[in-house]
Amino acid sequence: MSRRTFIKLSALAGATVAASRIFSHPALGSVVYSPELPDGEGVITEKWVPTSCLNCTTRCATRVRVVNGRAVKVTGNPLSRVSEGENCPRANVGLQVLYDPVRITTPLKRTNPTKGRGIDPGWTEISWEQALNEVGDKLKNLREKGQPERLLLLSGLNTVSAEDIIHRFADAYGTPNVVSADGLDNEADKAGEWMADGHYTQSAYDLERTNYILSFGASILESYKPLARSLRMWGKIRRERPIRAKVVVIDPRYSITALRADRWVPINPGTDGALALAIANVIISEGLYDADFIKNWTFGFDEYKKLAIDYYDPETVSAMTGIPAETIRQIAREFAGTRPAIAWRGRGATSWPNGSYTSYAIFCLNALVGSIDIPGGVTYQENPEYRLMPEFAEDDTASKGRAKPALDLRKTNLFPAAEVVTNQVADSILENKPYPVEMAMGFNSNFNMSAPGAGRWDEALGKVPCYVHAAPFISEMAEYADIFLPLTTFMEEWAYDHSPPGSGFAEARIKQPVVEPLYDTKSNIDIIFNIAGRLGGTVEQSFAGIGNGAEGYVKYRTAGLASWEKLLEQGVWVGPDYEYYKYDRIFHTPSGKFEFRSGNLEALLKEQGEEVNSLTGLPYYREVEFLGNNDDYPLLLSTYQPLLNVENGSQNYPWAQEMYLVMHGAGWTNFIEINRRTARSLQIKDGDTVWVESPFNKIKAKARVFEGIHPGLVSIASGQGHHAYGEWAKGIGVNPNEIIGVDYDRLSGQSALFNTRVRVYKA
Amino acid sequence: MARWGMVIDLDKCTGCQSCSVACKAENNVPYGSPEEYEKRQTPFWHKLIAVSNGEYPTVKIDLIPMPCMHCDDAPCVTVCPAKATYHREDGIVIQDFRRCLGCKYCIVACPYGVRSFNYKEPDEEEYHRPDPPPERADRGIWPFPHRVHGVVEKCTFCFHRIDEALKEGKKVGEEVVPACAEACPAHAIYFGDLDDPDSQVSRLLASRQWMRLREEMGTSPKVFYLTK
Repeated sequence: MSRRTFIKLSALAGATVAASRIFSHPALGSVVYSPELPDGEGVITEKWVPTSCLNCTTRCATRVRVVNGRAVKVTGNPLSRVSEGENCPRANVGLQVLYDPVRITTPLKRTNPTKGRGIDPGWTEISWEQALNEVGDKLKNLREKGQPERLLLLSGLNTVSAEDIIHRFADAYGTPNVVSADGLDNEADKAGEWMADGHYTQSAYDLERTNYILSFGASILESYKPLARSLRMWGKIRRERPIRAKVVVIDPRYSITALRADRWVPINPGTDGALALAIANVIISEGLYDADFIKNWTFGFDEYKKLAIDYYDPETVSAMTGIPAETIRQIAREFAGTRPAIAWRGRGATSWPNGSYTSYAIFCLNALVGSIDIPGGVTYQENPEYRLMPEFAEDDTASKGRAKPALDLRKTNLFPAAEVVTNQVADSILENKPYPVEMAMGFNSNFNMSAPGAGRWDEALGKVPCYVHAAPFISEMAEYADIFLPLTTFMEEWAYDHSPPGSGFAEARIKQPVVEPLYDTKSNIDIIFNIAGRLGGTVEQSFAGIGNGAEGYVKYRTAGLASWEKLLEQGVWVGPDYEYYKYDRIFHTPSGKFEFRSGNLEALLKEQGEEVNSLTGLPYYREVEFLGNNDDYPLLLSTYQPLLNVENGSQNYPWAQEMYLVMHGAGWTNFIEINRRTARSLQIKDGDTVWVESPFNKIKAKARVFEGIHPGLVSIASGQGHHAYGEWAKGIGVNPNEIIGVDYDRLSGQSALFNTRVRVYKA
Repeated sequence: MARWGMVIDLDKCTGCQSCSVACKAENNVPYGSPEEYEKRQTPFWHKLIAVSNGEYPTVKIDLIPMPCMHCDDAPCVTVCPAKATYHREDGIVIQDFRRCLGCKYCIVACPYGVRSFNYKEPDEEEYHRPDPPPERADRGIWPFPHRVHGVVEKCTFCFHRIDEALKEGKKVGEEVVPACAEACPAHAIYFGDLDDPDSQVSRLLASRQWMRLREEMGTSPKVFYLTK
């Protein structure tokens, strides 16, 4: 039935029958018929399908309203406790992901052998059979040659279920090279917590019950995950409890979080670690710390105390951070005097060289005031216990391949604690280090947009002899593919999911197709099952008996949580309530306690033959080394992620675009944001087109003169500057990653994002 | 008869814009393009505005969600030569697309800038909302999803939801609220009967400091903002 007929018939129905009779509010999945109309005509089907979002890693539970086979509305799922049934606006944008007009409808093969930015790949349509055959053959050859490690798997924003299956495939195939996007922005944060308590993870903050938040560059209301939970809890802690929580934000840029906070404290970029130690200095010297917790459950306090007292008094640190000593004292007293309090570290503070140490220094503040595993403090995230799969089958080829060093040089002397060093991979490919990459497969990845030094990824991808890209649309990375596999979007596929740390308690979500796949597409889980089948041998065996496809696999893995019917009907499974005060089992450290001097780090470095001195294990502050000299490049470039930056590698979504920069009242663009006084000295006016030049590259951007930014800093919102498919994304704004230099936090291997110097001048 | 009003708690608001996106989805408000945006021709029935005061480092920017204020003394109603915009009995200011001449007097008269002119041709290919939700299929003056080219559009307080709820005996303000209020993850938007002293909106206004925008214009808006 066409839409037009439908409308006509609906109007007719309305005129002849009392509306309430036809359109009673239907229950889940029900079909409402109009009894007055002939069979099959005027039929209105409406259902609400519980599923979950994938426009960021929070992966919120949602319910999607489907009218006559078309998804028309997304709301939260009230059964979700993580976000208490709420979503952020990106959940609605999911409709535009599903119905994106530039989605690819069939597998494609490249005909133009020349690869490069802006070069037409000369796509030709092929069948799935041919596409998967070719991919399968290439994989088989590589394995038969005994070089499975030369396969590189790149993973962007995927469901947890897809991530699990990609890792299993890598193990069975025999490559150590699965590279996720985490190495771009989360790893230093994780390493900081690991140094203190042995958990290599981001922290779960018990936002709901806290009374004081001290944010170090954490964009709690924009990009910090799980976002929808933070948004919900923000309302709660402000006005739905007897005590209104106070929020103080330390950030060189006035973020949305700073705007909504009670106090914004601008800081000299990259000095957050020193500030954390100065706050410790005040808390310790004034005796405001939690003496019981420190005595019973911490290790190394005396050395930490000496470090803070000897080197980081508020006056000294005031000179480094640009924050008046009196302000530092005030914040420290408030933080220690308002329990429970949280010291919340974010990307703004940790994405620097030595970011792990900054992360560690900030995290230690929580222990100082006893905010570890208490209501309103830092908690330890529990995840759903998905049903275990049998051990994967391993043959000789696989075990040899997996024993090879990883391409990203993780856990080597270069990046001793790293789990993934995303941005190193481009250089490893270019330098054939430690071995050449013969084949790469990207699943929803888009590193030549999202990684600093983006241009290197163009070169690296151009060099890989065979690149297979799987995504629903042609991203910048997909333009380098030899074979493109079109994926379903998250509203058309089966998956299970959960959020990054935040809630404490576990919660699993289901993804089920809310509509039939619109095109001839497959989910990445189905693709991997299919390829594994083609490879035969131990790879095929590893994928036998675990569901034989996406739906079966999800059913298999979630079997222990709840009945399948119940999961499909409710969409979420919520675990038991969080249990606090687990001090006897949460500290995975040599001392079994929270460590102000990191035994984990010292042991790791010693194991790798590095020298360890009395400072190494302490959360000390080291001045940032910048890329570019102060004279030629007087300003520092930073980036931030606006809420409506959809994280799937595209930005071809009008709803997100037209509300992109709410603080600037601007859409469809991004700016180089510059302090008014700085702009005046450079004779730059609001709206001028300017060059932003780093030692590595330059881009032309529109200037936005702004009061909410440190005079030594300029800032660009990420997520724009696409140059691939999609009229609503291509050519809009600029991508700061084009000019940001390549540098790392050494311990965790996370990219340093904010230490590139630039000069800005009129174009 | 109830007098519908909205209360927005700026202390709870996170500036996330869920309200604005939900409004677009609910009311099939067309999205624009970069060019239309540049020419300020993108229709919004709801959007956030940023109000900036002060200088670095003591700058203060406020983000204010802006639906139509549904003023009791609405300048748009006064100036409309075609009586296309008028008050319903429950105080909601309505725009009748059939009567609207497209003269834009109301856009000029509105002190809040919440009215949009529909420059777009009705588009069959509007991909985000092709089907009318069933409970709205019988709306007379409400021509969803046909958008009428060349008329003025605005927020309706989602009157279709209110009417439906009343018909079904549901409680407006508790069980049923406008789409923006429903979508707010911080629960910062409240809706209800301003004349009912027991409604949540009345209780909030009695217990908290509030303001209305451009009070000096004498428009008596029915959207209230709770401050810190």
